[in-house]
Amino acid sequence: MKKNKMSAAMKREERWGWAFVFPTMLGLLILNFYPLFNTIYQSFFKTGDFGLGNIFVGLKNYQNLLMGAGSGELYQALWNTVKYAIIEVPFSVIIAMLLAVLLNRKMVGRSVYRTIFFLPMVCAPAAVAMVWKWLYNQQFGLINNVFHAKIAWISDPKIAWISIAIIGVWSILGYNMVLFIGGLQEIPKDYYEAARIDGANGFQQFLHITVPLLSPTTFFIVQTRIIGALTVFDLMFMVMDKTNVALNKTQSIVYLFYKYSFTNNNKGVGAAIVVILLVFIMILTAILQKLEKTIVYHA
Amino acid sequence: MKKGIAAALIAAGLCMGVAGAGVSAADEIEVSIWDSNQKDGLQKIADEWSETSGVKVNVNVVTWDSYWTLLSSGAQGGDMPDVFWMHSNTAQMYMENNLLLNLDDYIAADDKIDLNNYYDGVVKLYNSNGSQYALPKDHDTIALLYNEALFKKYGVDTPTDDWSWDDVYKAAAAITEAGAADGVYGYAVNTSNNQDGWYNLIYDYGGEVITEDHKGTTIGSDEAKAGMEMLRNILTVSVPQTIVAETGTDSLFQSNQVAMITQGSWMVNAFYTAEGAADYKWALLPYGDANGNGQCDEGERYSSYNGLGWAASANVEDPDTAYSLISYFCSKEGQLRQAELGVTMAAYIGASDAFANAFEGLDLTPFTRIEEEGKLFFRPYTRNTTVWEDALQQSGAFLDAWLNPEDPAVMAAACDNAQAIIENAIANE
Repeated sequence: MKKNKMSAAMKREERWGWAFVFPTMLGLLILNFYPLFNTIYQSFFKTGDFGLGNIFVGLKNYQNLLMGAGSGELYQALWNTVKYAIIEVPFSVIIAMLLAVLLNRKMVGRSVYRTIFFLPMVCAPAAVAMVWKWLYNQQFGLINNVFHAKIAWISDPKIAWISIAIIGVWSILGYNMVLFIGGLQEIPKDYYEAARIDGANGFQQFLHITVPLLSPTTFFIVQTRIIGALTVFDLMFMVMDKTNVALNKTQSIVYLFYKYSFTNNNKGVGAAIVVILLVFIMILTAILQKLEKTIVYHA
Repeated sequence: MKKGIAAALIAAGLCMGVAGAGVSAADEIEVSIWDSNQKDGLQKIADEWSETSGVKVNVNVVTWDSYWTLLSSGAQGGDMPDVFWMHSNTAQMYMENNLLLNLDDYIAADDKIDLNNYYDGVVKLYNSNGSQYALPKDHDTIALLYNEALFKKYGVDTPTDDWSWDDVYKAAAAITEAGAADGVYGYAVNTSNNQDGWYNLIYDYGGEVITEDHKGTTIGSDEAKAGMEMLRNILTVSVPQTIVAETGTDSLFQSNQVAMITQGSWMVNAFYTAEGAADYKWALLPYGDANGNGQCDEGERYSSYNGLGWAASANVEDPDTAYSLISYFCSKEGQLRQAELGVTMAAYIGASDAFANAFEGLDLTPFTRIEEEGKLFFRPYTRNTTVWEDALQQSGAFLDAWLNPEDPAVMAAACDNAQAIIENAIANE
């Protein structure tokens, strides 16, 4: 292709283009890129008191976390996070999709239902976590009182991670649903009409029209939710007290990062933990992007 | 939609950041503490100081965990509160990095402050390289708190001065058994609060969490293991840790679900003002019968003690005013007021009787008598206490024992692991 010389008007347009993206770029540089590189830099240091007098230790932090004394804790936290994601992502996506299909029809009180399902998204995550913490309480919690049970929802290591993931599903459901409704409205009505004339029932329509045509939206939600679930922190932090006996089996990798960086004031190790998480998420995302071509239906 | 939410979240985050930053003008002093039980009393004393100085004092309370997160990020960013509490856990680190105002010249010029009038351990704690960085605010000891009504209900004799930890075990077992139908337990161990709990048993039996020179530990020794074995026995008849983890021993006690807990003198006011306060009584902290002769011998009754310090930020805007407030808090007058108002026991020697008298009809002598009848050990600390204190609560250390109190081998292994954890942490300090 022949390269055209830019006209004066195009140049002007280009300048304006830069002017418009400049604020965003500045924000990205200061708020995202600078901390990113600073974090990577810090992960090679043994942090001195209050971040002063850091000592360069090379890959020692990584060595210790991946193979040394800290590895047990790191892999446990990574496993906890993956377990959380395994519950949160599929359930929040499937339930949200079904809700979206139901609430996309014409029905009485449709917007009321949509609002109700979206409400958790509007609540402060800390408030959500506190309310659930009280619902789950073993002695005085509403759940145990209603069912006359004595279940340690959030302090039995065997089930605490599920209880936490349920809160995660509940919180994100409405948001996923709204995205799905947006995706559903882009599917032309003609397809359903044609399918009906051919004698397809509701379930067949859902399986052969809705699911494939919705797959770009589904893929987007799954991908963003996986990243969201792997970086979960607030739920564990608010619901699990530091004394909680199940904390070891539920603390997420970001929680571990918080503990090292802010409780133990060891920012070097904390930085190494998030860099490991970053690499982990990058690998997962790369795999997902490869999969996109085979699982997403492009009409 | 998505962008809008993201923008809202960022905006919310920014607002929180702004709200978190302290604002300080010269005619106002920001004071930070972590104990909400003491806020009203201290604000009252500060207001009395304001009457003469004309400077307003704002006492802010943040929870223990957030307090240290905020203070260390404030130290890093150069934005600390003006006047605040120091604690044995981290005092060394703050002093060595020159983050606290050096009070030497002020104390020398102040005829109201003579460091000889305070508990020696607390004074020394806030001294680094011969300079004083904080003035002693209080000192505290531990006692046994029990619910008299529950003892009566289940026909068990109430605690006396002669009680050993074995007696605690027997009474706890009896109440837990008799109260099973009502969901009442005899005892609750707040495993995360080492200072008023299991530390004391280790010392009763001759172990040391941190040795006197702050450079080692004997937590894996046979003596310490004997103490923890006693605790393990008590745990088997106490509230299960899964419940304690969710509701907390103080709340369980106040809702009449537990007959006995141990608590520090700083909590007296909280229990005195609680709903069922009429039934709550304090008893001398039990002793550990290490030699098994059935009586309390020298070195078998220990209580940890600790003392907070009032410190000012090294780059406080108006150091003279900040010191003047600290001096008022720590002067004999301020210390007496603190005791009279029932805030805490005093760091000023001889002012603690006023504290005991502040609570009408409540016998608080167990807190002062243990200083004569038992021995005190200073709350174990090293340069960065939080690191090993936190690790001791995790799986691989005592958490395994808290979860399986039935198995003595797990507790013994936990003691050995704890020995390694502390030695390792000290080596890295």
